[in-house]
Amino acid sequence: MGDAVASITTRARTIDADFALIGHQESWRAAADVLAVLRGPERTPLPDDEIKDILPWIPPRAVCHVDVGSIVGTKARGLYIDSFIPPDRLEAAYVHENIARVRGAAACAIQAGAKIVSLGGFSSILIEGNFDQLPERRGTVFTTGNTLTVAFIVQGIQKMCALEGRNLRRSTLLIVGATGDVGSGCARCLAPIVRRVLLSARKVERLRRLAAELQDDGVQVEIATDLPRFSAVADVVICAASLASPSLLLGRIASDAIVCDAGYPKNLSPTAEMLDAKVFFGGLGQITGGMKFTPDFHGILNRHPFPDVVHGCLLEGMALALEHRFEPFSQGRGFITQERVAEIETIAARHGIYLAPLYNADGPLEDRLDARWNGREDESMGERPSRTVESSF
Amino acid sequence: MEPLIDVNYSPMECPSLSPSAPIWQDILAQAMTGELLAAMNYTSLSEICDDPAEVADALEHSECERGHAAAFAAEGRKIGVEVCNNVDAKHWKRLRDAFLRCITERDFIGCLIVQEIMLESFAVASYSRVGKVGRGSLGETFARIAAEEGEHVDHAMSILRAERARDAQRFDDKVYRLHLDVMTTLAQMLAKECKDGHCEVCHASCVKPSLFEVSLSAAELRGASLQQYLKTLDMLGIPGEVTLRWVTQLPV
Repeated sequence: MGDAVASITTRARTIDADFALIGHQESWRAAADVLAVLRGPERTPLPDDEIKDILPWIPPRAVCHVDVGSIVGTKARGLYIDSFIPPDRLEAAYVHENIARVRGAAACAIQAGAKIVSLGGFSSILIEGNFDQLPERRGTVFTTGNTLTVAFIVQGIQKMCALEGRNLRRSTLLIVGATGDVGSGCARCLAPIVRRVLLSARKVERLRRLAAELQDDGVQVEIATDLPRFSAVADVVICAASLASPSLLLGRIASDAIVCDAGYPKNLSPTAEMLDAKVFFGGLGQITGGMKFTPDFHGILNRHPFPDVVHGCLLEGMALALEHRFEPFSQGRGFITQERVAEIETIAARHGIYLAPLYNADGPLEDRLDARWNGREDESMGERPSRTVESSF
Repeated sequence: MEPLIDVNYSPMECPSLSPSAPIWQDILAQAMTGELLAAMNYTSLSEICDDPAEVADALEHSECERGHAAAFAAEGRKIGVEVCNNVDAKHWKRLRDAFLRCITERDFIGCLIVQEIMLESFAVASYSRVGKVGRGSLGETFARIAAEEGEHVDHAMSILRAERARDAQRFDDKVYRLHLDVMTTLAQMLAKECKDGHCEVCHASCVKPSLFEVSLSAAELRGASLQQYLKTLDMLGIPGEVTLRWVTQLPV
């Protein structure tokens, strides 16, 4: 163990971080796995009750180094910083405590000299309207990463529609959490290419503003805070609500609806009755130029059934670092446009960052759907099939 | 070794004791023992200092810690209990022995790391928590002493930072070696339950299961102490991912 620590110590002194990723664990199981890696295989894993006692006291800090590569040969070095928000404290009641944790994590990123910082999961939700609450920056820029998340959600919807033989232009799209940064970005990108848009969120004034914006572009839009009113008529659904736990029950839903759960933590309750709906986890990308964690957290920090799959929000920081574009690409709420999505997609693709293979809680989807895919592209927006590769570092 | 403060293991008989007095008696006994151990450590430290100013400093700190021990004893008397101490109790003795190994090696920096970074982190964090729940002068005394111990840490921090600036690798290796020795013992002390027998400081059975009666818990005291320790190591400049591993590898 001494050697392992010594090697990390030495690296930490010499690293000049290009990027930092700020995140948190979405479940106690995930948190337990992180602590088990830190504790080492030779020690008994901490019992669950001890983890729940200890984790809330851990101050935000770096957990590991992350090296990523581009398909054009450039490399970037970074850090994963965990804010250690306890998975059961993601609710509004803990908002001030959690903002303080994200601020602490941001301070770690600044201290590490990170040139760009991506805010993952709730970190982004907590800060997207409060950028002024971040510590003094000294050459570090912050991005919520939401633009690339939107890009991958949109790509995922298009791919799923193509796999299922659906015509998106004849679809009724429901966005749950429509007034959030990700939800509204999806609305702007998809509204022009669907038949009808249904927007659902808790705040009616924000819904009205977004609807008016889309209607100005000639889109047929309806709004409701009452979700069940919409769920039965939608055949494509994006769940992008900020929920502390997977608790969303869509209610009655079209039996063959395509449902993208883009939440972190996931939106959909495991008890939600989805009939024959085609559910997939959205907003995920895959970095094909290689990604290495030191110490090795593969499969622990990125718990997906495919290698090198990462949430779009975190990939945005990596892509911008590989591009040497150290700028706050995504900031604030409601500024994600089709043009910005196209721009970040281009940057990401240039470095081999593509839509991740589709999967859901039951596992990979594409094996089951490949026969119907056959490389077809959606008629409204060209999208290349994602590739599964092993880490090349 | 001269007696530091009169040792008396039997709780004072007092018919008007509040129900929580026996709990406070044990909390005060642990705190007083810690302060007396710190006083002994500073006295020992003064014996290896070459600089007369450092000698005076160490002796002043020792006196200060004795004053804290006396203050805890006085708080006990106010609630009708006599506060015991036992610097030879098994965990405390191991902590003292770890410090004395640094003394034997005339390792001034090692002494500061053990006393100011490790033991004082524990003291500052736990006294602060106790200070929040203790009523009246009892809580005030804990809060005041927590603040004073915090000043000791600040004092040592500049010396230790300068030392780390000279050779960070060597410094971090030393902290890690001492961490394994001292923090392992502290982690055992701070475990939610004492699984390896009586601590030899509590006057009867282990006080930990009763802490909830005074709005405390062993888990909270441990969590606060480890958090303070991590923050102190951050202030020294040791990488956070390294110290996180150190702490997660401690026994529970």
